[in-house]
Amino acid sequence: MNSRREIIPITYRLAPALLLAGALLLASAYLASAGPLAQTADEGRAIFEQKCQACHTIGGGRLVGPDLQSVTTRRERAWLLSFIGTPDRMLAQGDPIATQLLAENNNVPMPNLGLTQSEVESLLAYLENPAGAGQATTQPQAPTQVLPPGNYARGWKLFTGEVALVGGGPPCMGCHNVGGIGRYGGGSLGPDLTQVYSRLGEPGLTSALANFPFPTMAAVFTGKALDPQEQADLLVFFAQVDAQGQAMPPAVFDRYFWFWGLTGMALLFAGMVIFWPRQRLSISEALRRKR
Amino acid sequence: MNVRAHMSMLFHLDKCIGCHTCSVACKNLWTDRKGAEYMWWNNVETRPGAGYPTQWEDQAHYQGGWELRGDKLRLRLHSRAGGILKLFFNPSLPDLEDYYEPFTFRYQDLFTAPQGDDQPTAPPVSLITGQPIEIKSGPNWDDDLGGSGVYARNDPALEGLAEETRAQLQELERLVFNYLPRICNHCLNPACVAACPSGAIYKRAEDGVVLVNENKCRAWRMCVAACPYKKVYYNWSTGKSEKCILCFPRLETGQAPACAHSCVGRIRYMGVLLYDADCIPEAAMVPDEQLVEAQRQVILDPFDPQVIAAAQANGIDAGWIEAAQKSPAYRFVKEWQLALPLHPEFRTMVMMYYIPPLSPVVSVLEESLFRLDLSEGASDFELFDRLDAARLPVQYLANLFSAGQEEVIRQVLRKLLGVRVYMRRKTVDNQVDEATLQGLAEAGLTPEQAEDIYRLTTQPSLEERFVLPPYHREMAVEAWKDPLAHKGEAGLGYIQAPRRGE
Repeated sequence: MNSRREIIPITYRLAPALLLAGALLLASAYLASAGPLAQTADEGRAIFEQKCQACHTIGGGRLVGPDLQSVTTRRERAWLLSFIGTPDRMLAQGDPIATQLLAENNNVPMPNLGLTQSEVESLLAYLENPAGAGQATTQPQAPTQVLPPGNYARGWKLFTGEVALVGGGPPCMGCHNVGGIGRYGGGSLGPDLTQVYSRLGEPGLTSALANFPFPTMAAVFTGKALDPQEQADLLVFFAQVDAQGQAMPPAVFDRYFWFWGLTGMALLFAGMVIFWPRQRLSISEALRRKR
Repeated sequence: MNVRAHMSMLFHLDKCIGCHTCSVACKNLWTDRKGAEYMWWNNVETRPGAGYPTQWEDQAHYQGGWELRGDKLRLRLHSRAGGILKLFFNPSLPDLEDYYEPFTFRYQDLFTAPQGDDQPTAPPVSLITGQPIEIKSGPNWDDDLGGSGVYARNDPALEGLAEETRAQLQELERLVFNYLPRICNHCLNPACVAACPSGAIYKRAEDGVVLVNENKCRAWRMCVAACPYKKVYYNWSTGKSEKCILCFPRLETGQAPACAHSCVGRIRYMGVLLYDADCIPEAAMVPDEQLVEAQRQVILDPFDPQVIAAAQANGIDAGWIEAAQKSPAYRFVKEWQLALPLHPEFRTMVMMYYIPPLSPVVSVLEESLFRLDLSEGASDFELFDRLDAARLPVQYLANLFSAGQEEVIRQVLRKLLGVRVYMRRKTVDNQVDEATLQGLAEAGLTPEQAEDIYRLTTQPSLEERFVLPPYHREMAVEAWKDPLAHKGEAGLGYIQAPRRGE
């Protein structure tokens, strides 16, 4: 009796809370579904200019990656959504289109740009109708025309770090190697750049030097962009290295490295053999032995 | 004048019988612990001998003590910058082999050995590893001529002795040895304190005892290397340095240190010395030949009214001044000038003093027999004018006690001989002849002084040997603890609250 009287007021008291919770659920569902709709093509354009433009154009021809004009009609929307969001995973899963694209684009894979689902949605909204979003950006790249004539020798020095980069960025050699440079070659953190010219093509490499569309490099070179002269010099340098290609002598330091390393170690041990036994001889032990 | 008080111990080497009771008393009381097995805060060495640790006096090897360079006193061990370089590897540090690997015997084997034709034995095992070892040395391995061919021959204090004198010390018929008990010297200018990078060692203000603060010690072991007497030891188990504490808990309760208290030959005396702390830098920097005299100058006359006034101004208790006046250390060191510091050339200004031993004359070969080289006639004075005929070479004693100054040793030995001859005349012949009185005067003593020396040497009471000042710990403790703070509280409480994990 007592308990029953108590239950009823509790349900009464709970009712407004339940109503409120339901309303919130509905509202959030609406907001969630309305999210993509709320994105504008303007945001998509901003993302494109920030993250895609280094490798892609819309109607401007191919750079590192293909021209994206009318890509939304060429590919299915679902495929685009997942590929732009996680290209690395698509490739790893062996998606046939992704594999084919990789082969078509000199085996330069598209990096994962870390875009959220809604960002990809707005990007697609922009790609569907590029002209509708503010001013046209069909010709973002004309850097080849702007670049001054490059100098191979200076490009070499910039690569090795003999001449510092104006923007303050680290020299290429810290992370990259090209065939036959330096006694011990370049770094191995980044890919070997011997064939980078033919792999990316001149427009692609030009764009890459200007924008560094790779997550690691973008982070390293934030606020330390190459100036046009440096870009031109490096472009010429890469072109020539690529042309010489295998003709450049391979690094031959290995033999000497091992030889001197082992010889030095042998000398050190030989010295220790002489001094080590005497080193720990106590004064009393020395007395006893002297006798 | 900056008068301070110091507890000082005095060793009358003529009376030492080399029984090691002092060492055992000390060991049982303080170093019968893990990590301290090899330590002998008190040890007795047979000299000539290499000592413990082996050849500790060889500062070319151990780099202990101070060095007078130009007009500056420098640690021989290292400069400040050099100390940082050697912080993690100090080649001057003695290692366990230089002391000895402590051992015991597996006594159970005597009971558990299977029946056989031979008596079971207790094999020696290392106290550190527990593994069977071959014993190579001990804290006094060269005791009583054992292994003297190795150890006595290589005594660093034999330096500068003529080749024939050294050879004579190895001849069976002319062999000689005496004992040298050693504890921490509680120096006025301690090298261990100067070398400690952590500032963990300090000299107590009230009685000059040099102590290691185990809470501050960081095991750099610079003190071990810097002490020229090798009297700071490193405990490998606790990772802290340890040293003789002059049994200060005993001193504070009116008892003599355990080594002195247990001494069978009653060779040890304890007493207060008043010294002038302002004179220490000067006294530590005089040339070698003035070191002993400079050190005597630092010690002050406790009867001088000026000294008493300065002592009182420095807060020295009247009981301490009275103890200083009765101090046997003061009488032997300053008044009679019989006691000498051990190795004053290390310039640490030691505060433990030694009365050097007399020894018989050497033997001469006569018709293929050895006989003592005594002069005809007055055989009492056999050594008085011929100290060079003593078996223990004066140069050797000088190397030990007076930085090589033979004249200092000769003066002391003459006084000791003078007292001996005077008392023999008096008690055996019942009359003192003119020659004896003259000899005594030449040695620089009056008959009264000779009687005093004789009495304090041969028949001192316990109270005369150990004149311990009142420490008044019950009053001293009030300086930092309020005795009424816990009045009326129940329970026992904690001096230091226990903490988890300790």
